[in-house]
Amino acid sequence: MRAPTIAILRCDIRAERRSRGVRALAALAALAGLLGAATLANAAPVKSAPAELPPDPGRHPTVAVLPTPASKHWVWVNDFVFPHMADGTAHLVDGDTGRYLGTLSTGYSYSHLVLSADGRWIYSPETYFSRGTRGTRTDVVTIYDARTLDPAGEIRIPPKRASDMPVMGDVALTDDGRYLLIYNFNPAQSITVVDMKTRRFVREIPIPGCAFAYPSGPRSFFSVCGDGSAVLIDLARNGQVVRHHTARLLPMGADPVTEKPVRVGDVWYFVTFDGRIVPFEVKGERAVVEPSWSLTSAAERAQGWRPGGLQQLAVSVRLHRLYAIMHQGGLATHKDPGKTVWVYDLATRRKVQEIPLKRLASSIQVTTDAAPLLFTVFIDGPDLDVYDAVSGHWLRTVPDVATTPTVLVTP
Amino acid sequence: MKWFDAMAERSARGIAKRTSRRSVLGGLGTLLLGAVAIPLLPAARGAEVKRGDDGKNPHWDDPTSCDYWRHCAIDGFLCGCCGGSQTTCPPGTNMSAVTWIGTCHNPGDGRDYVVSYNDCCGKSACGRCFCNRNEGDTPMFEAGHSNDYNWCSGNSTANIPYHCSTARILGAVR
Repeated sequence: MRAPTIAILRCDIRAERRSRGVRALAALAALAGLLGAATLANAAPVKSAPAELPPDPGRHPTVAVLPTPASKHWVWVNDFVFPHMADGTAHLVDGDTGRYLGTLSTGYSYSHLVLSADGRWIYSPETYFSRGTRGTRTDVVTIYDARTLDPAGEIRIPPKRASDMPVMGDVALTDDGRYLLIYNFNPAQSITVVDMKTRRFVREIPIPGCAFAYPSGPRSFFSVCGDGSAVLIDLARNGQVVRHHTARLLPMGADPVTEKPVRVGDVWYFVTFDGRIVPFEVKGERAVVEPSWSLTSAAERAQGWRPGGLQQLAVSVRLHRLYAIMHQGGLATHKDPGKTVWVYDLATRRKVQEIPLKRLASSIQVTTDAAPLLFTVFIDGPDLDVYDAVSGHWLRTVPDVATTPTVLVTP
Repeated sequence: MKWFDAMAERSARGIAKRTSRRSVLGGLGTLLLGAVAIPLLPAARGAEVKRGDDGKNPHWDDPTSCDYWRHCAIDGFLCGCCGGSQTTCPPGTNMSAVTWIGTCHNPGDGRDYVVSYNDCCGKSACGRCFCNRNEGDTPMFEAGHSNDYNWCSGNSTANIPYHCSTARILGAVR
């Protein structure tokens, strides 16, 4: 019975401390009251009590809707919720105000959403099981109304959607906005094609040995193969698929390109583990690798500077600038987060700015407007940070947005 | 996809057995073949073995430690912390047919071993003892060497839900 006695004693001590605290607070309150009374005595006559608040409008429960079109400074923070992967989510945040605007619930092993060209719809490839984490697997593209965030329809697709570390190449729209391309891995590799105009599954295109979908034209895309070649695929109007397999153009092996490129027009900028930028230009059936250049000088490489993270590159097409998460580390740190973003002029290929971050980042995104924001998240942290993408100044932190934020999507 | 699984496994094992640990990444000790069940939280979470003052790994023989010798190429939750062990899946889960494989050095006998990281599938993530040591990892373009895929994929009885990872010895490297 000794333990309870000790517990009671501890309770008594705490109660005594609370009691002393209460007495001290009471004394302070009394002093404040006296001072307040003195102040009031010299002020204007006491006003009457404020008017009673009116009832809120509407007799029924109300639900918010989002303004349209979406602000260019909004960002979707996609979250695969690693500890509870059946509960994938996407979070919408206004970068100008830091206001959290809404949520999508997006199923198991979630990658990311895609916004329709007209901004009316949100396309989201999702996986569900009939009993939560077991039972029959069903894969769908859910179409959400961008104004209400309500599901407006769904399209059944083959239950093969890749379960992987989310990257932008998992899902993409062709440039004409018509076809949604979804990467499959079971572990056979293929691309599911969905017609978003007729809202129907169209076909599955095998891409053995190759991965992801990178749009390259109104109805074309390419996938990158393990040997450094690429398969260029055109969805011709008659429903036939035209494909062209290139030579081994992209570096693999000791210093391979990552699966995290960014695009400016016909050029996809790939980056290698060591920080070499490999511009890959695709036009129709023609693909060319332009001369590569490095994110780092020889001195910086000697100090171990290299890119890292998940969505480690971002680009502002308007400013013609490339943004990269950088850190110091050795081999096998190509996924490490960084606490600085380096900015490059794509025309001169020179570093023009270093943006120190308030906290580690594993994903970055830059908005598409002329006065862009830079968003950063860390996959092991809940907060979203917002910076001016031109000056590099920190603007705000939006706390507690996500569980394990992955890729960032902006309108 | 059994033909694919069988082919992938044979191929991976063959390459792993022909490759000595020291030939990979200057002795860092990992050969990733196949891939991992789990998305990688940043490598800072546990990519490097924690050394004692004497330079030795004090946890090399602890199956519940990320520093356990068999975990040189693992990425996920350790099944030994989840109701299973380094060789068995926890109750009610299914062991994946396809695996990713590493070549790890055992300080206990000085030998290198091919280790198969079979995933256990069919329940939500265990969430205990996360471990990520991804030396030798490649981009997902080279699927067989990347640890960013979920290898519970294609498991007919438990397609995709990932729970934890084992670390089973396939054999010594000769």
